[in-house]
Amino acid sequence: MTEVLGDFIRALRSADVRVSTSESIDAGRVVGLVGLDDRRTLRDALAQVLAKSEDEKAAFEETFDMFFAFDQFKSRPPAANDDRADAADSAEADGGEGDDGEGEDGAPQQSGSPSAPGSGGMGGEPQGEATPATDLASLLERGDQAELQMALAEGARRAQLNRIRLFTQRGMFTRRIMELMGLDGLNDEIERRERDGNGAGAERLAELREGLRGQVRDYVEKQLEIFTANSGRQLREEVLAKVRLSNIDRSDMRFMRELVRKMAKRLIALHSRRKKVSRRGQLDIRRTIRANIEFDGLMFHTVWKRTKIDRPKVMAICDVSGSVAQVARFLLMFLYSLQEVLPGVRSFAFSGRLGETTDLFDREKLEDALVEVLRDFGGGSTDYGQAFMDFEEIALDDVDHRTTVLILGDARSNYGDPRGDILKKIHARARRVVWLNPEPRTMWNSGDSEMRRLQPYCDKAVTCASLKDLERVVSELLRSAV
Amino acid sequence: MSTEKKNAVAEIEAVRKGFETRGYICNAHIATSIFLAERLQKPLLVEGPPGVGKTELAKATAELVGKPLIRLQCYEGLDEAKALYEWKYGKQLLYTQVLKEKLGDLMAGANGLKESMTRLHDFDDTFFSEEFLEPRPLLKALWQPGGAVLLIDEIDKSDDEFEAFLLELLSDYQISVPELGTIKARTTPIVFLTSNNTREIGDALKRRCLHLYIPFPDTDLEQRIIRSRVPEVEEELRRQLVAFVQGLRQLDLKKLPAVSETIDWARTLVLLHARELDADLVRNTLNVLLKFQDDIDNVDGEINALVSKAMQAG
Repeated sequence: MTEVLGDFIRALRSADVRVSTSESIDAGRVVGLVGLDDRRTLRDALAQVLAKSEDEKAAFEETFDMFFAFDQFKSRPPAANDDRADAADSAEADGGEGDDGEGEDGAPQQSGSPSAPGSGGMGGEPQGEATPATDLASLLERGDQAELQMALAEGARRAQLNRIRLFTQRGMFTRRIMELMGLDGLNDEIERRERDGNGAGAERLAELREGLRGQVRDYVEKQLEIFTANSGRQLREEVLAKVRLSNIDRSDMRFMRELVRKMAKRLIALHSRRKKVSRRGQLDIRRTIRANIEFDGLMFHTVWKRTKIDRPKVMAICDVSGSVAQVARFLLMFLYSLQEVLPGVRSFAFSGRLGETTDLFDREKLEDALVEVLRDFGGGSTDYGQAFMDFEEIALDDVDHRTTVLILGDARSNYGDPRGDILKKIHARARRVVWLNPEPRTMWNSGDSEMRRLQPYCDKAVTCASLKDLERVVSELLRSAV
Repeated sequence: MSTEKKNAVAEIEAVRKGFETRGYICNAHIATSIFLAERLQKPLLVEGPPGVGKTELAKATAELVGKPLIRLQCYEGLDEAKALYEWKYGKQLLYTQVLKEKLGDLMAGANGLKESMTRLHDFDDTFFSEEFLEPRPLLKALWQPGGAVLLIDEIDKSDDEFEAFLLELLSDYQISVPELGTIKARTTPIVFLTSNNTREIGDALKRRCLHLYIPFPDTDLEQRIIRSRVPEVEEELRRQLVAFVQGLRQLDLKKLPAVSETIDWARTLVLLHARELDADLVRNTLNVLLKFQDDIDNVDGEINALVSKAMQAG
């Protein structure tokens, strides 16, 4: 039982539900308490110790249904009884007419083990010869689904099927489980019958063997699905997070959005918990008295009222031309997914002229807004000088000592004057100016890149080409922000 | 063994029935969580949209087990002096005054400073003792003879520090008072925490709790709730109004109407002697269900469709 629970928890973990050791122990206690008789109660009860958020609950239900589809738990004994009764019935009713028996027996089987298709024709064989056969052979010929399943589960356990990780292991596990269930004995039996001239018997057994193989394969397939539900996705996520954003395939876009959302969520969780307080310079009388009782009310220690520092204002100026557009898209996606910890984001986009896009993001859904931004501002030839001039006009007055200005661009200004003097003004007013350049550092200053002239007015200039880079930058922003 | 487990299911059903007779209608899921919380002696973290009866659940449980409900409402800036304990400063000051007066008697006949100090040390140190402790909700819950139901309401509104401070209480049912040491619960209380999810609750806290998510009820459950809470409302109207609210929840609104709003609305309709829904009646009473003008404006155009749908369902 504990083993099944352990496997289940492992399956949950692979489905992105975080289960700690103490929670596993609780799960064990819960099972001991409510028992296994009532599937719904068990599910309700386990959900409460193992899944602790809305998302996790959904993942839990899915995994639970899939994992216990085989009914390893409760319904086996009654099902076994039914099957046996059925088998006995059909054996009695059979007499000589084997055909009838097969038809009758098909139905209960299917209802008994819905997760084992491909098992048709296994139960209904007439039980003619009483030849002493090997375990597996007699089991197959008796066609007792419940016992077969039990043997299968046992074989799977001994073959350590719960360690399956890759789809290429399917064949290996199928064979190993068959062997552990007594394949060799079965083969011997088939051979023996052939030798004895019982061709029909051998053929039937061989047929049964193939049926069983199909069943085992299905079982392995299912387990693979359970235990590796997410590993493929995890791998893909890992790769995509590191790949250069400009190289990302269109087909991966939807996936990337998910990923950004996930990363943003992690950042929120990380940073929403760090609220520092600072001195305000007012005496907190209540707490001062409290701190000084031990001195008979004499005020030795003073306690000051504290106040929280405001969250920073962020202004993001994004070049949305050509190759930078893709990175800009993800930066904006990040910033707007962080509303919870970065409530005051203002965004500006430019290629030729610059415009504010904050309202657009407030008004529309993230995806629609991004498309609109790229349509309205993207595509022109880049002119940093013009963009900075526009920014000076629109927003320079709002830049103050709490504002962090993020500039995303490759600094390629088509040989126009990038107006470093305006950036200098911004730098003087802002708390920080951070330049994110999607090009690798070696490419800076080559050709029409003006990093050389702009970098002096930035507190920081970093390469930022992949989601990982973006995450790092944003995380740093949040850390120094709060 | 198996009979014991059979009992579990029966007991869960008993909990559900118990709630029902006290006017709290719930499904097996919620009853299971109460059963587990009591058996495992673990706090229960209840999440869900506002107005689905999270706080009610704690109240109903307190009634069911016949223990007093001690409630702690969380808010930003809540600290241990308000949640846990406070020293009775006034009494302590008086005590020092009395002590000063009595000091002469106490020290009478003492030879030299050293002996005076020894006598002082022998003297009971009552300055920091339980007599001078003013218990706040958490400490009250631990001290309550016979146990209590402790409701820590809207934990998401409190600060992180307070959340961290709760960890000791939630895992071991004890708290530390620096001057006294740890104070253990006399009887383990049943602890409820509720959260509206305005911010993510820390993992450490979640790990120590059972987690129950209460969603909006389905049609059937909501009808039963209305029947229990507003018995005056006639059956046909009840079916219609529940169907209407259920339809409303399918729309994209700022704040969806919860069960508490449905109950209020049912009461409103009873007051207005309504026999069945019609568009005008709904339009005039919509502000009971929806709390944002934007939402009311948005719904206005769809009222006719929603009402006719609800009439069909009714």
